[in-house]
Amino acid sequence: MEATVKIFRFNPETDQKPHFETYTMPVESTDRVLDLLEYIKGNFDGTLSFRRSCAHGICGSDAMRINGRNYLACKALVKDVGLKIKVEPVLGLKVIKDLIVDMDPFFEHFRSVMPYFVNDEPPPAKERLQTIEERERFDDTTKCILCACCTTSCPSFWANQEYLGPAAMVNAHRFIFDSRDRAAAERLRILNDQFGVFRCHTIFNCTIACPREIEITQAIGELKNAISTGALE
Amino acid sequence: MAFGRLTGLQGMRYRGGGPMLAFLLHRVTALGIILFVGLHVLASFAMQQVIWGDFGIFINTIYESPWFQIFVIFCVLYHALNGLRIVIMDFRPGLLKYQREALWLQWFIFVPIYALTIFVVIQRALAGG
Ligand code: FES
Repeated sequence: MEATVKIFRFNPETDQKPHFETYTMPVESTDRVLDLLEYIKGNFDGTLSFRRSCAHGICGSDAMRINGRNYLACKALVKDVGLKIKVEPVLGLKVIKDLIVDMDPFFEHFRSVMPYFVNDEPPPAKERLQTIEERERFDDTTKCILCACCTTSCPSFWANQEYLGPAAMVNAHRFIFDSRDRAAAERLRILNDQFGVFRCHTIFNCTIACPREIEITQAIGELKNAISTGALE
Repeated sequence: MAFGRLTGLQGMRYRGGGPMLAFLLHRVTALGIILFVGLHVLASFAMQQVIWGDFGIFINTIYESPWFQIFVIFCVLYHALNGLRIVIMDFRPGLLKYQREALWLQWFIFVPIYALTIFVVIQRALAGG
């Protein structure tokens, strides 16, 4: 089998504008798009730049737009995306080179929601216990790997980079609904900002794009509800 | 130097599927409603003026034409149903996992009501009403 891969290229040192380059190569249906990118880098053009690390869908480095929607390149198989493949950087963040985008605004939003455990009460002798149901409550949102597939698929984020974006809210949700945490009120206050949860227009791109299958729109819905009712159900 | 953020038309090309289409249609139908209300206000204003009366009547004939009405009904009905879906889901986040079904349900309600209205509009138009 042969695949044609069309890749967005932009070199800040030589190019004024980005352009596309097309490569043809032998593939297996079980190859991942990341394998094809490695093949191109190894055989055709060593200057092709993209992020990758684990290659197993865990580090969240290689979010990119494949055939028009966000995927992790290491989780997108040829048999799922077809033999004509178009690879572009994610939307809404500045392109530094080829498929590499500037993730700083993304991580700034992540940091702004206090994505860490807060509890000033003296720790018990052993550990802070939690029932199975209490742990279950926020299980879904613990799965986030911060790849930015969700935030960069969100039209509200494309429109305004100030918007916190789904990933930050997923991580806020993870701590807000943790029965051991004590900073829920403060986080909800941060989320109740004009660039917070209420900029979410229930578009669902985030949920569809998430490689970890987190029910992101639902998590955001629960945050909206918590803010408007004042109760953590 | 980095290349600017890619958004705008690039965003329109994003393959988000049904829910994103609903989001886009919600925006487009809102513009349709604004266009209708805008023309209405403009026509009412123009018809009060001594010199612009004919212009007012001309606009009137545009938005009272059956084609425009069919378009406006689409906008109002779609916008209302989609808005209702979002409001219900905002109040009951647990329902968000059924959003695919909700979108289908929305079309199931939309199609018969819209078809019936088109039928009435066309029937009246043909009868010269
Ligand atoms: S390379 Fe680590 S998630 Fe894809």
